[in-house]
Amino acid sequence: MIISPLTLFMLAALALMVIGLVGLISRRTLVGMLISVEMLLNGAGLSVVAAAKLTPASDAVGQLATLFIMGLAAAEATLVLAMMVVVYRRFDTVATEALATIKDAQS
Amino acid sequence: MTSWPSWPRPGKRVCEMSGLINLINKLSDLALPPLGQDIMAYLAFAVYVALIVGGGLTAVLARNLVRAMVGLVITFLGVAGMYLLLASPFLAFMQLLIYVGAISILILFAILLVKNTSSGEEAYRPGLPQAGLALVAAAGVAAIFGPVIALNEDLAAPPELPVETPLAELGQDLLNFYVVPFELISIVLLVAMAGGVLLAWDKRYRGKE
Repeated sequence: MIISPLTLFMLAALALMVIGLVGLISRRTLVGMLISVEMLLNGAGLSVVAAAKLTPASDAVGQLATLFIMGLAAAEATLVLAMMVVVYRRFDTVATEALATIKDAQS
Repeated sequence: MTSWPSWPRPGKRVCEMSGLINLINKLSDLALPPLGQDIMAYLAFAVYVALIVGGGLTAVLARNLVRAMVGLVITFLGVAGMYLLLASPFLAFMQLLIYVGAISILILFAILLVKNTSSGEEAYRPGLPQAGLALVAAAGVAAIFGPVIALNEDLAAPPELPVETPLAELGQDLLNFYVVPFELISIVLLVAMAGGVLLAWDKRYRGKE
């Protein structure tokens, strides 16, 4: 039995999502979590484009949706970088364990 | 000869911008019979899947964050190849430009600014409960969505052959029907950049006083 291309693309997107989810939960710092979130977003874009290209659905809409996802990912990465800089100045670490307190880590 | 489902190939409606792709299409049409093209497409797909899975596992499991970022870049390259297979070269180009060119550099800056390389928090493996929970969550998602994808008969139907949408059509849509999201995303980007600069500069001013 040969699997159809659309199923294959969807399985690839699912693989991206699963790997990203493992990383998102098992990473201990904000940087590692950011890397995993980027992978989740990539999986979403891939599945949208595959669904738009290989079905009778409108092709341009799928591509535009993925372009919007890319723009949002860029904005999100910028903000997370700035937040990491602030958190690092305040807590001297970006480990999520240390951020679970309201007060500073040192006090 | 068993019938392969015909793999999507870039259609004949190739826009004028991509003369090179057009040329490659013609050459491959000359060189290979359709069955050979299908086999080549499946081979390319297998290579891209290997890039995605290998890079993704590196990005998730590497203890050194710089290595994790390199794995992420490899994953991005694999996804760009998938976009090429889906006959949308503009998206592949944007993937390279935005993800490989911009976002991975941002992540590299994040890694370097917070001094978190091989000796940082990520140098140790996650505890057993954390790793176990991560695996349970991932297995749960795979167990829900995997059968949904694999058993769906609509997905298994022979797909439409994708034709490459001309770039001008995308631009028309962006400026006609989708003009509000288009403008909104520029506002979001502007606010994100301004907010990032504001957040990162605050303490420096206070330190000088």
